[in-house]
Amino acid sequence: MSVDGRIAEVERLRRRRPRDRFARLSVWALVLLTLLAWSSEGLWSTDYFSPRRQQNLQRFLGELRPHPLQGQPFDVSVATAWAGEILSERGWEAARITLAMSVAAIVLASLAGLALTLTSARTHATSEPYLPGPRPPTRGQRWVWRAVVGASRLVLILIRSIPEYVWAFILLAVLGPNAWPVVLALALHNAGIVGKLTAEVVENLEPGPLRALRGVGAGRLQIAATGLFPLILPRFLLFFFYRWETCVREATVLGMLGITSLGFWIVDSRARNHYDEMFFFVLMGAGLVLIGDLVSAVAREVVRRAA
Amino acid sequence: MSERGASFRLDGVSVTFGETAALREVNLEIKPGEAVGFVGPSGSGKTTLLRLLNGAVRPTSGTVEVNGEALTSLSPRQLRSLRSRVATVHQDLSLVPNLRVMRNVLLGRLGRLSLLSTFRLLFLPPRSEVLRVHKILERVGIGEKLYQRTDQLSGGQRQRVAIARALYQEPSALLPDEPISSLDPARSRDTMGLLIELSRETGITLCVSLHDLEVAREFVPRLIGLRRGKVAFDRLTEELTSEDFRELYDLAEDEMLDGV
Amino acid sequence: MAFSSRGLVLLTLGAAGLWAAFELRLDPRDLVPSDGGMVMARELFSRAWSPALAYEAADVPAGTRPLLLKALEAARLTVVFAAAAISLSLVCGGILGFFASTAWWVGDQTGGAKVGWSRHGVRPVVYGVARLIIALMRSVHELLWAVLLLAAFGLSQLSAVIAIAIPYSGTFAKVFSEMLDEAPRDSAVALRSAGASSSQIFLFGLLPRALPDMSAYAFYRFECALRSSAILGFFGYPTLGYYIAASFENLYYGEVWTYLYTLVLLVVVADWWSGALRRRLVLA
Repeated sequence: MSVDGRIAEVERLRRRRPRDRFARLSVWALVLLTLLAWSSEGLWSTDYFSPRRQQNLQRFLGELRPHPLQGQPFDVSVATAWAGEILSERGWEAARITLAMSVAAIVLASLAGLALTLTSARTHATSEPYLPGPRPPTRGQRWVWRAVVGASRLVLILIRSIPEYVWAFILLAVLGPNAWPVVLALALHNAGIVGKLTAEVVENLEPGPLRALRGVGAGRLQIAATGLFPLILPRFLLFFFYRWETCVREATVLGMLGITSLGFWIVDSRARNHYDEMFFFVLMGAGLVLIGDLVSAVAREVVRRAA
Repeated sequence: MSERGASFRLDGVSVTFGETAALREVNLEIKPGEAVGFVGPSGSGKTTLLRLLNGAVRPTSGTVEVNGEALTSLSPRQLRSLRSRVATVHQDLSLVPNLRVMRNVLLGRLGRLSLLSTFRLLFLPPRSEVLRVHKILERVGIGEKLYQRTDQLSGGQRQRVAIARALYQEPSALLPDEPISSLDPARSRDTMGLLIELSRETGITLCVSLHDLEVAREFVPRLIGLRRGKVAFDRLTEELTSEDFRELYDLAEDEMLDGV
Repeated sequence: MAFSSRGLVLLTLGAAGLWAAFELRLDPRDLVPSDGGMVMARELFSRAWSPALAYEAADVPAGTRPLLLKALEAARLTVVFAAAAISLSLVCGGILGFFASTAWWVGDQTGGAKVGWSRHGVRPVVYGVARLIIALMRSVHELLWAVLLLAAFGLSQLSAVIAIAIPYSGTFAKVFSEMLDEAPRDSAVALRSAGASSSQIFLFGLLPRALPDMSAYAFYRFECALRSSAILGFFGYPTLGYYIAASFENLYYGEVWTYLYTLVLLVVVADWWSGALRRRLVLA
């Protein structure tokens, strides 16, 4: 082949190259979005290095020190006494409440998520699950099941796209100050996520065992109880612990709305300008989250090994 | 092109991995431009032998010489440069599946480029290089796949991309490891024919490991039989008797029984 | 999983749930709102079908921008915070994630000469430090970072971006390092045997294998960042959360839904986008 011929051939191949327009467009859109975002002038309106801000920052950093020690040399026994007092007065209880909220929320979320899975997995919520029936389903039957799937998917999207914080904010006004608003808010958002993830797992299941169950005449709920749930349990447990991790994080924060989890004491001490206490509670929250991450990582590893 | 074909010399080479001996006391000489086949049951040391030639495995004892130079005398930089001249085609091909065929082939050059020129070559390849890649791809029979994504190709086509990548290295030796293990009989013959032709045309030394004796006898002029890490025979194919082969595999059965 | 262990796991989780319920004194009767709460709930949810298209306040000062424009502006700022935070955390998280992965030990894993720092034994230290930094960044929620930065610097939009970016960087670093570690190594091995250097191997042998997963995950986190950014409104930044809270407290329930639906729309679009990209990049 002549050089010119080869150039023409390569050019022809290049023009016919398969391209993923969507992926390419997505990347460019994201780059554009990033540039636009960073050129938004509001971001650059603050002078971080003005003398007044520097002063504020200095004062703030100074006030992070436990107050019996402010302006004093550091003394471990004084610091531990100070910390012990906060812990016994409010700290331990707040940590326990935070933990309890996360646990209650994830248990509720997974129950609700599993229920919604059954109505939103296309392989399960259909007029002919796993095996064909005697006659083709009527148009009406098909329509009903399609509506069921559509509606439960819409519910899943709606509850997960509204952030926990907004749910808690609204529920608090409706239900008043008890633990329910926070637990429900966490449960709603996470039910949306767990439901979506498990529905995907169900749709990708090998249909063999479920077909066999349908073959012996089991109904949808029977199939779910005896075949579906046992099959998805390992994956489900992975999601459970993965979401529980985030529940611990969020439960800490949602206290800011007025339930006595760690977040409540964080905003409370901030409102009283006790920055040392605020910082202490933030660190406690971080500790709790770290422990939660660790427990969740170990639990997920155990599940993965067992499966 | 005087330096086209590389020569290899193994002198009393043994390789042990932990407790197991992969190769024992192997002596071998391969002349520039020769085409050699390594045959033997799996686990007999074929792959280890190929990796020795590329400097990817250090001998436990003995010396490996490439073009008359002992590998142990090379600096890390020289070793890198040697690797780029002795091109391996791995059994699993090891292509990057989500790159276009052209980029996969271009990756063969990495050993001779700085990081910056790698970026330039991959993202703004000069026309001359694109033409060269196309020429090589055409030579191995898949010229029209230049801009396809590698994971869209069939197994045989991917095999050819891997060979093209090795050729693009401008190697003085080509070391395909079990190049036909996952191909159907017709494709196997095509691929082997191609490798032998390439070695004849260009004078590249070819060392190929094979477990299919039929194909090996049909295509490769010199065969080296390996069993349990030892050279069982090293002869021109036309001189080989079926006795030689039977021994190779009979012993392998013993070996299997030993293992039980 | 054997049946007994499965039963045990579920029993334990159930028991944990019961403990939590007792600890929090969760009483099902409290789920019924008080009369005032009931009225409020009815008023709020009755407006779900008719979000406000214009201000509900009787006397809107002249020259105020129309409600929908205001919602759009809030949405814009929500997206700005999210996009800025995600791009910042991609850079920081990418760098941290590289050091927190074992991928840059690839020189050892594929055999051959050790490269660079390894000779000085610095690598385990760098690895450990990177892991520690990641854990610290991740363990404090973005809202708490916002509170801390607010107390330290006062209200500033850049602080909002940084508050989101800190924990997100940590998460990116953690997830990216895992993806790099789990990416197939075969092409890296092949590049080494073609004489490539460690940095070439990482960039062209390993990174491309993990890149589809990594970009799909980045898009998913963008969706999360939109929510985080909206929530920052509750702390005074004029994103969607700010107007949701303000309208709610002024009892303009129609407006609440307007802003809420704007947020839902943003999130649903991002969700669809990341899902479509994931199907193309990862599952194809």
